[in-house]
Amino acid sequence: MKKQPRDKKAKQPKKENSILSRRDLLQIAGITGAAAVVTQVITSGPLSPDAIQGIERGHGTDSNSEYEWHMGIDLAACIGCQYCLWACQATNDVPSEDMRWNVGFPDRTEGGTDFFITRPCLHCQEAPCVKVCPVGATYIREDGVVIMDYDRCIGCRYCEVACPYDVRRFNWKVSTDDNPYQPTWGVAEVERRVRGVIEKCTFCVHRIDRGLEQGFTPGVDRAATPACVNACPVNARVFGNAKDPESPISKFLKDNETFRLREDFGTEPKVHYVRPDKEA
Amino acid sequence: MALLNFSIPKESRERVYWAWIATAAILFLIGIVGMLKVLIQGLSVTGLHDQVPWGLWITQDLSSIGMGAGAFTLSAIVYLFRIERFKPLARAAVFVGFLGYTSAMIALAMDIGRPDRFWHAVVYWNVHSVLWEVTWCVMLYSTVLVLEFLPILFANSFFERWPWLGKFGHTLHKASPVFAAIGMGLSLLHQSSLGATYGVLSGRAIWFKPSLPVMFILSAVAGGISMTLLLPIIVGKLRNQRVISRELQFEVSRLAGYVLLAYLYLKIWDWAATSYYSHAPGTTEALTRLQATTPYTQTFWWLEIILGGLIPAAILLYRPLRRNDRYVMIALASVVMGVTVNRWNVTLSGLVAPPQWSPGVLRNLIVVSYIPSWTEIAVAVGIIGYALLGFSLGVRYLPIYPEKDLHEEY
Repeated sequence: MKKQPRDKKAKQPKKENSILSRRDLLQIAGITGAAAVVTQVITSGPLSPDAIQGIERGHGTDSNSEYEWHMGIDLAACIGCQYCLWACQATNDVPSEDMRWNVGFPDRTEGGTDFFITRPCLHCQEAPCVKVCPVGATYIREDGVVIMDYDRCIGCRYCEVACPYDVRRFNWKVSTDDNPYQPTWGVAEVERRVRGVIEKCTFCVHRIDRGLEQGFTPGVDRAATPACVNACPVNARVFGNAKDPESPISKFLKDNETFRLREDFGTEPKVHYVRPDKEA
Repeated sequence: MALLNFSIPKESRERVYWAWIATAAILFLIGIVGMLKVLIQGLSVTGLHDQVPWGLWITQDLSSIGMGAGAFTLSAIVYLFRIERFKPLARAAVFVGFLGYTSAMIALAMDIGRPDRFWHAVVYWNVHSVLWEVTWCVMLYSTVLVLEFLPILFANSFFERWPWLGKFGHTLHKASPVFAAIGMGLSLLHQSSLGATYGVLSGRAIWFKPSLPVMFILSAVAGGISMTLLLPIIVGKLRNQRVISRELQFEVSRLAGYVLLAYLYLKIWDWAATSYYSHAPGTTEALTRLQATTPYTQTFWWLEIILGGLIPAAILLYRPLRRNDRYVMIALASVVMGVTVNRWNVTLSGLVAPPQWSPGVLRNLIVVSYIPSWTEIAVAVGIIGYALLGFSLGVRYLPIYPEKDLHEEY
């Protein structure tokens, strides 16, 4: 087989025709460098979209906030009444069961104890959903709450793929159904979401923010506390500021032996459970 | 083997060509109907749900972007490394890449819930997201592909009435080495980042591994070269006249074989390290559930490894077999099939066996199911129709393959 010779002669005349002179190369290098600097300024500097819009989008670890909202769920106390699921659906205007932000189902421990597990969003400090969102539509606030910017979401659902706890819900269609849980379990306190965006549990952040403004203490005063916590007839759910040692959640964490769901994922959730088979 | 002897007699060629174009156009129209349905009614018309939010269309995105990888590979070989003997395939590779990337963009536009906000990734940045990086790279690289494709388009006599277009095309073509360099950089980034899209998700053990990005780019290069080479062989068979020389065909098929071998090597080690020599609880548990309820294991071994990997690698690398056009066509088509099945398996495996988070034991064996809806299939078929239509028209009206007749009959 005859091989094409890869000799130097073939390369010689190239030099003249080469469209890139040394000056061009230097120019390209200069432009690339300038682009890198501009990129840096736009992504994290004073020109970043977040800085311009004045939105607080913490990255979790070095928070200066005086608040960090946590929730406790006592699986030994829970009676499985599902009031928390319904209160959530009414308050956050989620008409369909498939779209529940706060889910629950019966389960059994290895030792044979039956229990009812309920699960809101765990508001992970190292939230996989926040890391993967290509447009920063889901973010973690300085106070540790993970929420959505519905106006920014493009509906790619990568956050849903990334979340190992199945807390995220996509608006597959326009939601027009009547909400059967209103007004018995509460009234809509937030707007219903549009088609094509992701939604999720917010720890009823609208109540926290407004409550703090009005001088209430979330976790203590009902007006500033998530609907699911208020609805529980046996006080199995506890909420509050983990940075305040006197808050209900701090006391809950001190008095109980708690665990978090799948801590091996390294997601650092802010929802803490008490085992259903704990010694009374 | 008679099946692959499909040269068409000269007198009926026109008729067959237009019948084929009509078929592709019908497929495309079916897709348009599906797309309208999705845009009007929303994604509830798909078989997707909150537990399996990604499915057929994502597989199609990943596959068609993978099949487009021939463009950056051959552009780099020809315009950067100046290996001139690959040049007759460079334009074809760019054209296939252009069709692949545009197909992926159509599928993506259907798949995102708010296609009207596709530009958000440009304005709102989250540099921590691999998908953000992928979006940027794919957008920039598609621009590069358009700039590389325009000179080919302007070569059509239709554009002769605007002579400046031809000049513009010529200038663009002279910048080919620059585009090749940018294109290679962007492709190396996003082709592997597409694998990282799954590979970085620490919550899903079956995905969470550093080998995924590398396997994605190797399989994309193997699949892209295979697709780029398969098409001119088929066109040559139909015309009963080679469109690229035998020597080039041998060389490119051998290149595809070597890249495929590199991919297989990594793939076998990936399997051995994660599932054979070790017992990582998350991966083992997910694989057990997949094995119990889905054909994952069978499709992995038979379609990805044996039919899509070992057999084509043997054909492409063993000279007596490589010299047989039919075997080579089967091998190249098998590589394309294997890579596509791989994209499906990777996407669905992590979703169908989701991590169990309840502290109880009742739900430990739960798998969720996904069956694409007819609308989803219609859109996917329509996008394939678009690519077939684009390719068939391009081959006829654009100088995709070298002008000079090779006068080499089969």
